[in-house]
Amino acid sequence: MDDDLPTDFQVIVVGTGMVESIVAAACSRIHKNVLHLDSSDHYGGLWASYNFDGLQKFIKEVNSDPEKQVQVYNLREQWYIEKESPSEEEKGEAKEDGKTEPSKKIWSQASFAAEYRKFNIDMTPKLLFSRGPLVELLISSNIARYAEFRCVTRVLTWLDDHLVPVPCSRADVFATEAVGIVEKRMLMKMLTSIVAYNEEEMNNEFKDWNDKTFKEYLTHKGLTPNLIHYVLFAIAGGTDAMPCLEGVRECKKFLMSLGRYGNTPFLWPMYGSGELPQCFCRLCAVFGGVYCLNRPIDSVETKTVEEGKTKVVIESKSKTLNCEHLVIGINECPKDLVSPEPAETCDISKAVFITNGTIMKSEKEPLTLLRFPPLVEGGGAVTVLEVGPATGSCPKGLFVVYFITNKVSDAETDLRPYADKIFDLSGGDQTEETDKPKCLWSLFYNVKDTSGAAGSAAAGVHVCSGPDAGLDFDRAVEQAEQIFKKICPGEEFLPRAPDPEEIVFEDDVTHGPEFQREDEDADGDAKE
Amino acid sequence: MEDYKFLFKVVLVGNAGVGKTCLVRRFTQGLFPPGQGATIGVDFMIKTVEVDGEKVKLQIWDTAGQERFRSITQSYYRSAHALILVYDISCQPTFDCLPDWLREIEEYANNKVLRILVGNKTDREDREIPRHIGEDFAQRHGMYFLETSAKEAENVERLFMEIAVELMEQAKCKELPKYDGSLGPINGKTTSVGDSSCCLRS
Repeated sequence: MDDDLPTDFQVIVVGTGMVESIVAAACSRIHKNVLHLDSSDHYGGLWASYNFDGLQKFIKEVNSDPEKQVQVYNLREQWYIEKESPSEEEKGEAKEDGKTEPSKKIWSQASFAAEYRKFNIDMTPKLLFSRGPLVELLISSNIARYAEFRCVTRVLTWLDDHLVPVPCSRADVFATEAVGIVEKRMLMKMLTSIVAYNEEEMNNEFKDWNDKTFKEYLTHKGLTPNLIHYVLFAIAGGTDAMPCLEGVRECKKFLMSLGRYGNTPFLWPMYGSGELPQCFCRLCAVFGGVYCLNRPIDSVETKTVEEGKTKVVIESKSKTLNCEHLVIGINECPKDLVSPEPAETCDISKAVFITNGTIMKSEKEPLTLLRFPPLVEGGGAVTVLEVGPATGSCPKGLFVVYFITNKVSDAETDLRPYADKIFDLSGGDQTEETDKPKCLWSLFYNVKDTSGAAGSAAAGVHVCSGPDAGLDFDRAVEQAEQIFKKICPGEEFLPRAPDPEEIVFEDDVTHGPEFQREDEDADGDAKE
Repeated sequence: MEDYKFLFKVVLVGNAGVGKTCLVRRFTQGLFPPGQGATIGVDFMIKTVEVDGEKVKLQIWDTAGQERFRSITQSYYRSAHALILVYDISCQPTFDCLPDWLREIEEYANNKVLRILVGNKTDREDREIPRHIGEDFAQRHGMYFLETSAKEAENVERLFMEIAVELMEQAKCKELPKYDGSLGPINGKTTSVGDSSCCLRS
């Protein structure tokens, strides 16, 4: 019944991860004929968000059939709470007692299951820099209308065995008591020269720092240890070994994104990062792209039709699909089409925790980026994102906390020591007043870093890499644009899609165009 | 600022060919598009109506064809205030698929979303679904019910006006699903409701 699927396309995209979806949208937008498939029943591939039920299915699938998700391994799920809620009687008592001081809800595995829809848990949680390439692309292409965002409210770091807020804005820097007045001057001066850094015309400030570390530079500028900590670990997200110019670039990115939307340079997508590939898919569909989930492919073959022209032939559910270009996610790709992986890929260690409170109290519900410096010699920095109910990530009373770092041994060994610092992982009484939030559930897993393996072994086939360990989507956007330019040389990458008010329907023409342009609206567009 | 007090997002779902796009275009443009040509580049349509002397802007979203192989993005359902589930009264299979659609709605849409079941194409002589069958189904699943003909402009205006009235009433009692506190769209334009004051624009 589903096989009225057309068979001939200019571009077929397999996999609905971030890179694939951006390419699909870009091709469709300039009126290429696009078919977009995914082998599973949901969007996003390794970039997906799951509700709690979907996540359980994903875990089961990885554990029972590792061949199906070869990118994910070392998956370990753990509960810290009871299977069932306490009996009704106990609950009733708690309520009466709690009239003056509302008692904390006692969560059980059953209550997670009952509220499964309210969870949106990301496999690839990422932030957007407010002036980064993805935000600019969403605005310039008009895809921003499919998504909503929240500002990250604070940046924290781990200093002297404590969580401390990192001053982000100029106002923060001057308001903070943690930094003395002389230091403030020094810091502002240094930040100003970082903002002035320009890769093309290497300015004098940095010309001798090419082979030195960022830490050496910061020390040289006379920054105190606390300030070095803020800048190196929290703002640049680096380690002691971070090369100077990389640190400068990371700092500049951070500083340039300040002051656009909120007090930090970051945005988080409502309902999770997994929404973003879908926004691009929607645009692709709006411009005529055909969508079919639950459609695995069996084989891919490339044929040279005539001089320099290739045809890609795909077998899927005993149907033959033809296209000029195949764009395929690495997780969907037959092995023989991937060029041999570069030897030095570093896999990613990840963890997700669900807790019953924030890691650091705040007046309003916080949305937090926490950057840990390495706690052990030779370890990597650890990025932590804490998101709450207001982001559509979990039910009220809970927080979802993501940990990401480069893999050293395995996810749990790499990340548990950091989790121990900020959570109570002992289980036990949830109502107990503790200074650390209780962890109720956790998941550790490793993901293969395939961001370097994006080459392809065949003409007409473009392999998209999986998620990288970076904080933002910049590499995905960059890769998508590169692939698009190979497929459609000379064409514009995601030109602005018209607003509904601007569309004139072909069949209206005989009646005279009906639409009216709202002048104010048009002015507003021009500005952004 | 544009001149309206409320903005509501209305989304349509249902099998391919039941007339979703025709309903939207009949209402927003007052015409019945000839032929089946998919409307390339059309995302959502907007119409401002007046309820009790107040301007209400309806933003009506179509599926962009993703329903054809049951591949609608979850994000399509996010932040919807009203959801219109459409079937074709002259086509039994489009009615038989309603439970599948309901499952998807349960999974992804806000549980407070206003839900309306619409039997379209009452102009057709070859009716397969009697009116009361549709009505029963709607009642069992807590949905409003209406039969329409986009072709004859029957009940289309009424469908959207009743949605506007109902949503406005809910907004006034603050019962609407709240998509509160979010920063909202990043391009500075209102495409969805952005704060705890519901849809009230200051």
